[in-house]
Amino acid sequence: MADVGVTKMTKSHRKNDRSVSATLAAATCALLGTGASAPVDAQEEPKWDFNTSFLYYGEDENRVQDASLKSIIRRLFADDKSLSIGVTVDTLTGATPSGAIRQDVAQTFTRPSGNAAYSVPAGELPLDDTFKDTRVALTANWTQPAGEKGLLSVGMSASKEYDYLHTGLNANYAHDFNNRNTTLSAGIAVARDSIEPVGGAPTPFTPMLDVGDVSNRNGDQDKDVLDVIFGVSQVISRDLVMQVNYSYSMSDGYLNNPYKVLSLVDGVTGDTLPRTTPLPPDGGPSGQFLFEGRPDERTQHSLYTQAKYNMNGKVLDVSYRYMTDDWEIDSHTMDVRYRWPIGAGSYLEPHLRFYTQSEAEFYRLSLDSSQPLPQFASSDYRLGNFDAITAGLKYGWKTRNGNDMSLRVEWYTQSGTVPAGQLIGNQAGRDNYPDLNALIVQFSYRFSQ
Amino acid sequence: MKTKLLPAVLLVALCAGCSSMGVEPWDRDVLAREDMQLVTDPLEAATDDHIYFSKEASSGGRGFGGGGCGCN
Repeated sequence: MADVGVTKMTKSHRKNDRSVSATLAAATCALLGTGASAPVDAQEEPKWDFNTSFLYYGEDENRVQDASLKSIIRRLFADDKSLSIGVTVDTLTGATPSGAIRQDVAQTFTRPSGNAAYSVPAGELPLDDTFKDTRVALTANWTQPAGEKGLLSVGMSASKEYDYLHTGLNANYAHDFNNRNTTLSAGIAVARDSIEPVGGAPTPFTPMLDVGDVSNRNGDQDKDVLDVIFGVSQVISRDLVMQVNYSYSMSDGYLNNPYKVLSLVDGVTGDTLPRTTPLPPDGGPSGQFLFEGRPDERTQHSLYTQAKYNMNGKVLDVSYRYMTDDWEIDSHTMDVRYRWPIGAGSYLEPHLRFYTQSEAEFYRLSLDSSQPLPQFASSDYRLGNFDAITAGLKYGWKTRNGNDMSLRVEWYTQSGTVPAGQLIGNQAGRDNYPDLNALIVQFSYRFSQ
Repeated sequence: MKTKLLPAVLLVALCAGCSSMGVEPWDRDVLAREDMQLVTDPLEAATDDHIYFSKEASSGGRGFGGGGCGCN
């Protein structure tokens, strides 16, 4: 939607410049090779826009660390056409909760590969520390006017990790009404993802097996995702613009996390059941842990609304999102940013975000061995009941040659609770939810030529 | 047939309601500013969408639901 504003500024000049379109097209080719300027109206001059950032995302207690380099390169052509290419490279390391619960004794687990075992000290949250990945993501989007008041955008996306492949296509159409004060938009995105877990995807509710035994693995899996979005943006006054979006998302296929397990526990003590056979020399799980199982469909509905309000040069940006899905997760997200200019080209921007979600109907801290197994269960903390707060500050400035730089530092914290009805015996006295604290630092550099 | 017409009627009503709001083209100086665009910083927006997609059960809203990662 940000593109629409730029288009609005330049569109009024389009009719006059039809005659120079051919010249501009030739100039475009010349620019690609030589960087020389074509003798045309400066506002219509084809140009490049480079936007690059370096991100560090780090969770405490040696959990996930991500160093990420991201670039969006935009090529502006004549007649308001543009091509945007995005490239992201992520390097991920660290540990992530396995889904098993804390115990008063040390525990051992088989690694997802099935090739080795690791141990977790008594009283500590079981974390799988083998998490290591490199992710490369590409996006490409072509945007062009469609008629006098329309804007059409088509794009593709792809990303690859060691154990995941994503491919997607998307299209969006926006149409201006009411003297360009109202914009209606509709978009669709389809994706096909392939999940290629280390060692193969385990059969849900089968036990974590000893090192070397991969008899419960099923190779690669896939899922399809359909997203549809409808939006309205409206200029209310000279200082206020608002947006409302409805979006629908439907996922179909393998929606499990292939690395997450649940502890199978005693129905009275709540402690993990010990293994029933002696531990083999190569190692294996000390207790009974079952791989999670989720439904193979998920439908989400979101309503998003945003307002931007100019107050004597300072800009207040407020948004709210409500999400509900058929896994019975409801969430509310409130986001507030305040951009405060401090001198020529510089600004400070405090940011606050509040998020809360209810747990999925099949979220379980553990599985009670005295009860029949449920149809679906996951102890993934991201499907639990938690609140999250982000607090941050961004400083942006212009360099001597007019380029934009910014640095932001943010803290993200999650704290969750397990529904009291799920706590069995000794579990009531333990810290069951893997709370999360993360530091986000992002440096961005933007220049045009 | 009636149900098919309903969205169209609502859309027309909405646009009619909106037509009384807004500004003239010569009053767009503030709205044209970069800091007044709905997405001011596309890189930051994409970064945030990806972080929260990875750590929370909700995604999208502003645009498409992110995705393209095995992190969820």
